[in-house]
Parts: sequence; structure tokens; C-alpha cells
Amino acid sequence: MNPIMMLASKASESIGASTMLVSNYVFPNDLHVHWSMMIVLYPYITGLVDGAFIIAALYYLFRVESLKPVARFSLLFALAFLSCATLPLLLHLGRPERNFNMLLTPSPSSAMAGFGYIFAVSMGVLVFIILFVYRPVLVELRKTSKGPLQFIYRTITFDSTDLSPAAMALDEKIIKFLVGIGIPIAAVLHGYVGFIFGGVKANPTWSTPLMPVIFLFSACVSGISAVILAYILIRRFKGRPVDHGCIVTMVKTLTLFFILAFSFEMLEVFSHTYLKTGYHHMVEGLLNGPLAASFWLWQVKICSVIPLLLLGVMGLMKLKASVYNLLAAVVSAILLLQVIIMRWNVVIGGQLMSKSARGYTEFHPEWFDKEGILAVIVVMSIPFIILWGLSRIFPFWAGENKT
Amino acid sequence: MKIQPPSPDMKKRSFLKKVLNGTIAGSLYLVFPMGSDGLEGQFPKNQMPPEQIPGIRDHAYDILDQEFAFIVDITRCIGCGSCCVADKREYNVPDGNYRTWVERYVKGFSDQVYVDAPNGGLDGYQNPRSDIQEEVRDTFFVPKLCNMCREAPCVQVCPVGATFTSPDGFVLVDDKRCVGCAYCIQACPYSVRYLHPVSRVVDKCTWCYHRVRKGLLPACVDVCPTSARKFGSMKDKESEVYKILKGPGVLTVLKKEMGTWPALYYKGARREVV
Amino acid sequence: MGLSYKMRLVILALGICIMAGSGLLLKGLLVPDSFGVYGPYRADAIAENTELPIRHGTNSSCYACHTYEAKVHKTGLHSTISCEFCHGPWADHTDGKKKIGTLPVKTNQDITTLCLRCHNTEIKARSQQVIKTVAMPGHLESQKVKLTHNCNQCHHVHAPLKYIKRARQITGLTEEKI
Repeated sequence: MNPIMMLASKASESIGASTMLVSNYVFPNDLHVHWSMMIVLYPYITGLVDGAFIIAALYYLFRVESLKPVARFSLLFALAFLSCATLPLLLHLGRPERNFNMLLTPSPSSAMAGFGYIFAVSMGVLVFIILFVYRPVLVELRKTSKGPLQFIYRTITFDSTDLSPAAMALDEKIIKFLVGIGIPIAAVLHGYVGFIFGGVKANPTWSTPLMPVIFLFSACVSGISAVILAYILIRRFKGRPVDHGCIVTMVKTLTLFFILAFSFEMLEVFSHTYLKTGYHHMVEGLLNGPLAASFWLWQVKICSVIPLLLLGVMGLMKLKASVYNLLAAVVSAILLLQVIIMRWNVVIGGQLMSKSARGYTEFHPEWFDKEGILAVIVVMSIPFIILWGLSRIFPFWAGENKT
Repeated sequence: MKIQPPSPDMKKRSFLKKVLNGTIAGSLYLVFPMGSDGLEGQFPKNQMPPEQIPGIRDHAYDILDQEFAFIVDITRCIGCGSCCVADKREYNVPDGNYRTWVERYVKGFSDQVYVDAPNGGLDGYQNPRSDIQEEVRDTFFVPKLCNMCREAPCVQVCPVGATFTSPDGFVLVDDKRCVGCAYCIQACPYSVRYLHPVSRVVDKCTWCYHRVRKGLLPACVDVCPTSARKFGSMKDKESEVYKILKGPGVLTVLKKEMGTWPALYYKGARREVV
Repeated sequence: MGLSYKMRLVILALGICIMAGSGLLLKGLLVPDSFGVYGPYRADAIAENTELPIRHGTNSSCYACHTYEAKVHKTGLHSTISCEFCHGPWADHTDGKKKIGTLPVKTNQDITTLCLRCHNTEIKARSQQVIKTVAMPGHLESQKVKLTHNCNQCHHVHAPLKYIKRARQITGLTEEKI
């Protein structure tokens, strides 16, 4: 008997007839995992965008003043990742050269068809938010720069140097408006990614209305963690002070979103276990079999319970600022890992169940495939290169642009 | 839930309007007889396969007024795999991908069900399973192919309209528009779709649409030695499928709970068949 | 340029609207002609799906030239078996004008393997109402022939009982069990 059958028969002793059907038969077309690591990266990247955007929105729309030091940076961070959001998708498509078909003939019935438009709108909104937020800075920089850089600055300030109170008041209104529509767009961009999975009724772990909610909250978790970690690292690297108040606010926001995300993740597993629907034996076998390590050990125990404890310590105990900031960086790093493991468990884990409801396939990542490990590394490093490029034009930190 | 398509009259009217407007000049031949024209270029007169589905050749094919059914009789399947072989050869299906396959079910007295389909049944079933410890209660073969769902999840999720249900009820793939995103592969509860490794677009069983439109049976039906696979037009009152569907026998569909309303029926399928 | 800041933004907004509008216009131009005739898909794809070459020609295509085999095959118990299943598809053999390839003919042990693909009693899932199955080597033993015999040494592959019926006619023997 192979391990899965042993597992199945073991489980059947304890919980009865529902697991009796597992005999490790995989439909012949199900042996291959069609959505692999690129489709793990795609929701991860849009999630980072979403979370970073939330931080910016809290400052620009809700005037959470303590977030001022990172507000501009998180916008640029969001832009750097958003500009790479389509990259994993293009690498995944069988015929990437036909990607414009999504825009030309979007099927009204398909959840996926809206992606092109939602992406285009969120890109446009984000770019203009950044341009208006940075306008006073850019106008100043235009004066001191020369050559092609000056041309860039002239273009992105709409060739206007008007910083009069009237113009600034107008900018303020525009920013509020753009961020106002940006929040629902960001929520749609990512909640909708969750719905792409949630809308697949053929897959018992995906088809739950909780999926968009889980994706949205975990997106916020990953994005906020990324901003915290990047802020601390970049400031340390540059030898500049870290704003403690800002970190505290971000960690508090992170705590809130992580509690929500983790609760919903567990709620989904709990309802599967409690409802024991027709395909429950497959989900249970998946989480305790092929995903036992990546789900229970890594996603839940190491990357969720430990950060929860740390966040509890940070929230309830009085810590020195330096210790608090160090813990913030550690928690953020673990949570960044948590979210990508969660994406892996949903996307790839979900596909390990054959639709025969009788067995599980295996996934072996390859190194040099177009969706392989190397491609993952390349795709994930491009946003950082873009971020560096953006930093040449848009100074990250408020109040320090005049060197 | 929409199961019945809008009344054919309505569709015909809007269709005619479009023809008159000249918007589908290129598709005119859809309604006019395809007859054996498509075959004449390929087969010499004496080798021309005879018409197997009456009422298709030399008749106007009204695409809006057709209904076909496919019935798999599990009690007659002997697991020879002729259908799998014919299918692979008709389409040159690449190894490791299957438009159709045959599963072997073995059910023990403990109610445990053992299923296998080595190489999709292409090599037939030469030997009994040796890994079953208990006494066997029931054993049978189950051929699988596209269910041609009336509420097809693959059609619903295709973002670019590259998979569609044709007006005559076939779920087909437009290989010139498919982007190869594989969303339909995820959505299909029966796993009949695969990404073609050469064309890099999705491929699936079409019930041999190109043969049906020329009055021929699907390749798998034609080669089945025991007529476990039956195909025919519901417009033909003499066809075997019409008689079976009209009769009192029990027919089932796969994964009824998915709400896909398949046009593929199974006769003699036990409840364990998924 | 003396445009006010406000004016510039209005121009910018107009520019975006024009770009979006021309994008929609371009979309209209690039959508395939037959898209949407029957639904949100390209109606011409239906016709294209019918244009695939037919590779299996049915038995009657084979009978047109192979008249001897046709005569035997049609009258025997194997008449429902497709020629192309054992020998390969019509399209691998001829392009309709001339022969383009030789299809394989199974010999020796391969024949027995092929026969047992359907006739092996060991596979219990075969209804006796549908097919007659035999157990090997029990069948060879009961027929008192060498265990090395291949099926086609007694059975004509196209009409399995052809020789057996003739043998009975000649010898006048009747045997209930084969």
C-alpha cells in the first residue's frame, strides 16, 4: 500500500465512511499541475500592492498622521509591484502573445475576463496619485535638475510650476478623490483574484465565498509587512533614524489585519471539517497528507502562531523602541513568508486533489522552466529594480528630499 | 437556471437579421448543406464512408435546430481500449494527455472502491489488479469523455470566449483565440481538458464534431466493438439514443451535484462512479 | 506657455478620455467579424472545427480495396471490430489517391496479446452476454493443443470460428464446447 492509501485507510478507521473512497486514483489529465508557481506569485504580488496601498490610503484619506514617513514610500512600493503584476501571468499563459484577447473580447460570464480592465484602471489611478502627491517635490527637483532628467520632471509635473495655495488645494482634492476610488479598486483587484479561485466549483478547497475575503486580508498582511520590513531595512542601511511612532501604527494595523486573515483561514478549514460535505474526505486528506508540512507546520504553526504571539507581546508589553522595531522586522519577515506559503497551499495545494475525488497528484518545481524556480527569482527581483529606478526620480522619504 | 436555450424561432430571426446585415457572410455555410463535400476532397468515391448519422448529408444543416446525445453503456464495455486508441490516432493526441479514457472500477465487499486507468486504458487491460487484498464484489469499466454540459463551467470561465457551446450543443475550443490560461482546465469537474504541448492552447474531446458534421459517428463510437458507446441525433426518431432516452431505462449523469447538466448519459453506472 | 495649472489638468483629463475612447474604438476594430453572432465567441470557429481532417474512414473504406478480407470479416463474429483498431487509421495508409504507408499486421505472440485484450477471463469486468472470454492456458489445455500455440493457429483473426466451423463440417463432429 502506498502512503496515501495507508493514510486513507487510517483515517477511515477514525471518521467513518467518507474517506473510504480514497484509493489514490488520479484522473489521467490531473497528473499535471496546470497552475504552478507563477500563479502563486500573481496573487502574492497584487497582495503586496494592496497592503502597501492601504498604508498610503490611511494617511492620505484618513489622515493617520503617524504614517506620514512611509506614506509616499508605500505608494512607490505599490507601483513597483503593480507594474510587475502581469509578468507572472504572461509567463504562465500558453500563448502570451495573445494576451490582448483579454481586453478585446472579454467574456461577460468569466471572472477572469475583467482582469485587464481592473488592472489598467488601478495602474492609472496609482500613477496619478503618485504624481499629485509628489508634485511639490517634483517641481522643486525640476528646478535643480538638468538634461533628460529635467525633461522627465517637466513631463510628470504637467509642465507646470504652479505651487500657489489654490493649486495645492486643488491637488489635495484630487488626491482625496483618487485615493477614495483607489481603495475600492485595490480591494476589487485583489478580492477578485480570490474570487477567481473561489468561483471554481470543481475544486472543493477553492469554491468558498470566504476565498476573496481571505485573499483580501492576507493581501493587507503581506503588503503592510513588506512596507514595515522595507522601511526598517532601507533606513538602517542608509544609517538614518527609524520613526518609532510610524512603526507602532503600522504594527497595530498589521495586527488587526492578521487576526482577521488568520481567523478566516482557520474558519475555512473548520467549516470544511464540521460540514463534512461530499468532498470533505479529499480536503481532509489533502491537509493531513500532501500539505501536512506546508499547511499545518509552516503556514499555521511557524508562520501564524509565532507571529501572533510576538504581536501579542508587542501590543501588550512595554518594550524599548529598538527591541520593538527589531521584533516588528522579524514579525514582518515571518508574515511575508506566511502569505506566500498560504498562496502556495491554496493554488498548488488545491490542484493536488484530483477531480476523481480519489487521489492526489504531486508537484515538483523545476529550476529552468518558464514557470520554474529561476523564473520566480527573476520575477520577484524585477520590482526591486523598478523600485530603485523610481527612487532616482521620486525621493522616498518626506522632508529629506532637499539634500 | 437556464437549461433550455431561447426559443429557436427567436434565435433564427436574429440570425437571419445578422445574415441580411452581412455581418456573418463568412459563416453562411454553417446553415447550408455540408453534405459529403468535406469528404469528397479526402476520400475517393468508392472509399467514401457511408452516412452513419441519418439526416446530415445532403440536408440543410440548421445549426439552431439540432440535438445530439451520447450514451455510454457501462454494462457493455469490455475495456478493450479501442476507443482510446482511435481517439489518439484521430487527433494525434500527445502522450500523457487524454481526450477520452477508460477506467477500471473494482469494488470490494468492504465498500472500498479501487480505480485505475493505466495510460488512460490505451494499452487495454491485460491483467487483473494484483494489489487488492479483499474479495471483489463488483467490477466494471467506465469510459470517460467530454460531458458536453449544457451549463458548462469551462465555457463560463473562459475569459476570451475561446471555449463556447455551439448552437447545436457541442462545447468546442477556438484554437485561434485561446490564450492558454488553463482556467477552463481548473473549472472542468470531469478533467477532460488538457493544454496541448505543441499548440499551447487547450484541447478536449469534441465528440468528433468534424465527423458528426459530415454524417459520421465519433471515432470512438465507430470503433467500439460492443456498442458500449452510442451516439446519435435526437432529431432522428429511429436512432438508438433517441429510443433509449425515450424509454424507461435508468440513465445517470456524472457529478450531478455540480449543476452542469451533461448531455453525456451513462447506462448502468453504479453510484461509485465519479 | 501660459496655461494655468487648472487648464493643464483639464487638458490632461481630456487626453485620458480621448485615449480611453480610441482604445475602445480600436477594440471594436480588432474584434473578429463573426464574434458574437451566436454568443460571446467567434462563430467562424464552429466551421473551423469541422475542417479537421478525418483520419478514421470506417470499415467500408477498407472494404473498397481489401475485398477478400471484407468478405471474411463481414460474415464472422468479429464483424463489429474496426479494421483500423488493429491495423491503424485509414489516413496513415492512403491519402485517397495513392498508398502512402503500410499498416502493421500483427504476428505470433502479438496476436495472442491482442486477442486477450478483450477475451481474457481474468478480467472479471466483462459480461458474458457481451463477449466470450477464455482463460489461458486453460483453454489451450482443454482443446488439447500445444501451450505455445497462438490464437490464430486455430482461429481466423477476422472470423474466429471460420476454420472451426469448416472443420466441423468436414469431420461431421458436433461439439458443444469450444
